[in-house]
Amino acid sequence: MEALFGITGKGFVLTASDTTMARSIVIMKHGEDKSRVLNKNTLMMYTGEAGDTVQFAEYVQRNVQLYGIRNGVPLSAHATASYTRRELAKALRTRNPYHVNLLIAGTDPKTETPELYWLDHMASMVKMPFAAQGYASYFCMSTMDRYWKPDMTLEEAKALMQKCIDELKIRFIASLPQFTIKIVDKDGIRDVQL
Amino acid sequence: MAMKGKNCVAIAADRRFGVQLMTLSTDFQKIFEINPRTYIGLPGLATDVQTLSELFRFKTNLYKLREERDISPKTFSHMVSSTLYEKRFGNYFCEPVIAGIEKDGSPYICSMDLLGCINHAKDFVVSGTASSQMYGTAEGLWEPELEPEELFETIAQAMMSAVDRDASSGWGVIVHVITQDGVMTKTLKARMD
Amino acid sequence: MQMYEEQKSSCPVKVPVECRFSPYTDNGGTTLAIAGDDFCVIAGDTRQSEGYSINSRYAPKVYQLSNGSVLATGGMYADGVTLVKMIEQRLEWYRHAHDKQMSSGALAQMLSTILYHKRMFPYYVWNTLGGLDEDGKGAVYSYDPVGSYEKQKWNCSGSAGHLIQPFLDNQIGFTHQKEKAPLTLERVVQVTKDAFTSATERDIYTGDNLEMFLVTQNGIEKTRVELKKD
Repeated sequence: MEALFGITGKGFVLTASDTTMARSIVIMKHGEDKSRVLNKNTLMMYTGEAGDTVQFAEYVQRNVQLYGIRNGVPLSAHATASYTRRELAKALRTRNPYHVNLLIAGTDPKTETPELYWLDHMASMVKMPFAAQGYASYFCMSTMDRYWKPDMTLEEAKALMQKCIDELKIRFIASLPQFTIKIVDKDGIRDVQL
Repeated sequence: MAMKGKNCVAIAADRRFGVQLMTLSTDFQKIFEINPRTYIGLPGLATDVQTLSELFRFKTNLYKLREERDISPKTFSHMVSSTLYEKRFGNYFCEPVIAGIEKDGSPYICSMDLLGCINHAKDFVVSGTASSQMYGTAEGLWEPELEPEELFETIAQAMMSAVDRDASSGWGVIVHVITQDGVMTKTLKARMD
Repeated sequence: MQMYEEQKSSCPVKVPVECRFSPYTDNGGTTLAIAGDDFCVIAGDTRQSEGYSINSRYAPKVYQLSNGSVLATGGMYADGVTLVKMIEQRLEWYRHAHDKQMSSGALAQMLSTILYHKRMFPYYVWNTLGGLDEDGKGAVYSYDPVGSYEKQKWNCSGSAGHLIQPFLDNQIGFTHQKEKAPLTLERVVQVTKDAFTSATERDIYTGDNLEMFLVTQNGIEKTRVELKKD
């Protein structure tokens, strides 16, 4: 019942993740941030099995950080996504695969090209202009198909994100009262309000 | 799908990526260049498509470093076969199609099952969810000794008509025609539903 | 097939033995119909098979009906024969009641009702009905076993339906093509032959003979072409 979104715009990626931690029918916590900052310009959002998610995200986070420290050059979003895919694929054919679905958002600080990668627990990786993870994709991919256009401004992207969240409020059976909205651009990663 | 022509071969695939009935991406790469005369198509489970494409890139790069030459399509298909059979118990879910031009200029195509059993054909090979549709169209449209332009038209028509009748294929088609002089790549707009 | 079997045992307690009988079988084969402006071609192969064995190399499953329509039946042969008998009887009743032949459109609707009347124990038949409508135009109707039907320009169903249908889309419907050649009877016959020879190469249930019915204003011509017998 978790939801993740990502929308690319001109020089940025706008991301949203719900903040509900649920187990079975019980909400255990509100206000959880389901994302990890991998480096200055790359953000990973995750859903999936509790435990696996944070464990895996932090494992990738630390390796990406280590790469930056060792080489003095941060890992690009594409390289990060490829590395993450590889780790998921390796784990997939072991006894205990990670049950994690991800969105990786990054903006190249030099070229200002936004990138958004969709990965599922089977380790399929696709680069997308906009993406949704979880049940939300059934409701919101069509919304984004209709309203997304290349080089959107931040305001336009926010409006589209709002449309998606509103759609979930109307049509989705689970209540997702709060979302963490972030922007990933050349200056780094910041929380924003819609 | 891959087809033989006169001193040329063609390989084509659709561009859909989806999870069950939901289409997520319409520019998914399934055909990979191994070298300018060898291409491989990898239909199947997306994660294995990507894992295998990376693995073959690694293996062929290593081959080139060792041998100081490009791998031939025939040698490469046996490399693919062994790679798949290596995972005999716990296999990759992918049935590759290989197309290329041999050193002597002769066209080469083959397909494989998910365990690496090679199938050589004199005319065409198909693989994937729309395989029965492709067998029908290719069997009806293909003829021997096609020139590159004719081969392109044949494979394009066969592919597009076939994927139109399969719910889980489509959303555009990509075609590569490989000749001695080079590769012609065309992305075809097809039905987007 | 295993019929009821009595348990023979010295044990005084009767043990229930599970017996099963399936009233359905698939006899394979492929049928095809294409409607032109003033003609209609209905075709089918003549192989009758069951699993890996061939029962007959000449068991026609395309029937010329008494009202001038042609019905192609695929799926279970016995149900097809029964169904055709039923239809012929109803056509005769119609003639007695109305003193005229039933139109192909009326027959199409009637076939649907006949099939739906056996909704809970259906005829295991995929029908394709071809003929000329009241204006002399070619008409093709295709059905599922319980009577859902649709009027089409061309249709191919049966074991090689998956193979031939996209080929027909391309060659008769001219999908993805700029130039559309006129749909003459000669061309339709040629495409039909090509479709069946191609399908015979790849489908083990299709082969032996191809039987074609060419329906025009002048009547119905029946032709036979040999297919591969392997």
